[in-house]
Amino acid sequence: MTLTSKPLALILFIIMFGGIAVSSALGWWQTESTKVPAAFTEGDFAGQANPADIRGSYTFGDIANSFDVTPEVLTQAFQVKSDDPASFAVKDLEALYLDSGYEIGTNSVRLFVAFYAGLPFDTTGQEIFLPKPAADILLGRARLTPEQVTYVQACSVEVIPAFRADVEPATAQSEETAPETESAQPASGTEEYAVKGKTVFGDLILWGVPQEVIEQIIGAPMPDPAQKVKDYASANGLDFETLKTQLQAEVDKAEK
Amino acid sequence: MVTVLGKRVRLFRPHTIWIRKIVQWFFFLFIVLIAVNHTLAESGSAIPILSSASLHAVCPFGGVETLYTLAASGLLVKKVHASALVLAGLSLLLAIFFGPVFCGWICPLGTVQEWVGKLGRKLFRRRYNHFVPTKLDHLLRYTRYGILVWVLYVTATSGTLIFEAYDPYFALFNFWSSEVAPTALLILAATLVLSVFVERPWCKYACPYGAVLGLTNLFRVFSIKRAASTCKADGACSIMCPMNIPVDNKSVVRDHQCISCLECTSEAICPVAKTVVFTTGVIK
Repeated sequence: MTLTSKPLALILFIIMFGGIAVSSALGWWQTESTKVPAAFTEGDFAGQANPADIRGSYTFGDIANSFDVTPEVLTQAFQVKSDDPASFAVKDLEALYLDSGYEIGTNSVRLFVAFYAGLPFDTTGQEIFLPKPAADILLGRARLTPEQVTYVQACSVEVIPAFRADVEPATAQSEETAPETESAQPASGTEEYAVKGKTVFGDLILWGVPQEVIEQIIGAPMPDPAQKVKDYASANGLDFETLKTQLQAEVDKAEK
Repeated sequence: MVTVLGKRVRLFRPHTIWIRKIVQWFFFLFIVLIAVNHTLAESGSAIPILSSASLHAVCPFGGVETLYTLAASGLLVKKVHASALVLAGLSLLLAIFFGPVFCGWICPLGTVQEWVGKLGRKLFRRRYNHFVPTKLDHLLRYTRYGILVWVLYVTATSGTLIFEAYDPYFALFNFWSSEVAPTALLILAATLVLSVFVERPWCKYACPYGAVLGLTNLFRVFSIKRAASTCKADGACSIMCPMNIPVDNKSVVRDHQCISCLECTSEAICPVAKTVVFTTGVIK
């Protein structure tokens, strides 16, 4: 059988575009991420979403749909300031921490989600960093193995996102020496845990004040964790001094 | 051969595979539109009827790069989508039957190199595409296999598209974007400059996907075949071959670099009918 150029061109079009049409019909033709991570195929976690497949194009909302991590926790962990935490894209973290000197990005989110949700995650050969609030949340709330605790402490870094460049980083415990049980707990009596003008709602959560208590005090759903309490008070016609006193009382309770 | 003003001159029919040029234009514009629309989509102003897929979604080599990760973990390498696997499968199917037609007819980077090569052909005429010494040229043609092995290794071990930072195809259709690495732009520039001297330099010496598809030349169903009984041995087929394959001394072209462009056939440059043909059968 001999072929010339015109039939070959026709065959080429038929196979390429016909193949695309058939694969579309079969649901194989996907040019965008489905925003649903692939599942573990074997082991104890078979069928559960695999954090290693979280992509930069996923939003915090997409992650919340597949894992037991709320967008609010993610915004708090990664110090994201957003009116709509669910729509924040993971890939935007890199820009947020561009000048931090550390690569905080998709891998950081994968690690955080895996450890937070208690799912396996292979860190072999990877240098992953977590902002200190993320590490504190993991150390304070997640069920980590001793090896994971050591790993989280080692990869915790004090970084300031671009939008909070005016804020001084919180004084942190030494990463190497911090006992795991104290990492997320306020140090009693220190000024560090005083509610001030620059305190954000995320700080209150970190200091151990339950979200429900905050909502009760402000009489509204939990605001953006990155929002300053003072800004929230003035925007909602509340007296900051009164609010501060009430919140400080809860912070002090949490210390005990 | 004819004698003109006392000089013996080889005359070739000016035939070319014109439909291949149309197909190349089509796929070039197709990819340009997709690349531009992808950029527009990021700013929320995409043209609705056009695909706004990323370049990675429409590059079959992504399907090859992700194979190890897919087999090992069931996941695709970051930025690669299922469509790349589909395209890799379709391109391989075409190659098994017809050789690397993807390279010769579809790949927009190959097309652009051919366009730049026209300038070189005008400037250097017969010297064009014959600057590299034969022995060196022969050796260099195996570097693309080394590059293929390296790309597959680093992709498998890192789980990311490392090759993106060196890929002139990605740079060509994304040069306006901050996603393109300076190394990729440099390699693209070098490829375009070299194309003035050598036809398809990237395809010949460096393309890892060409290396994959090129292997099908060894067993493909349709091959370029030359009928020795009617061949006038004027060398036209060899001179015309963009990949410098000496078609005129082969009965069947099994060269790993053939791109199935058909420019050597009796339909194009060969002046004798049914002498160099694209066929499954045996010709004498």
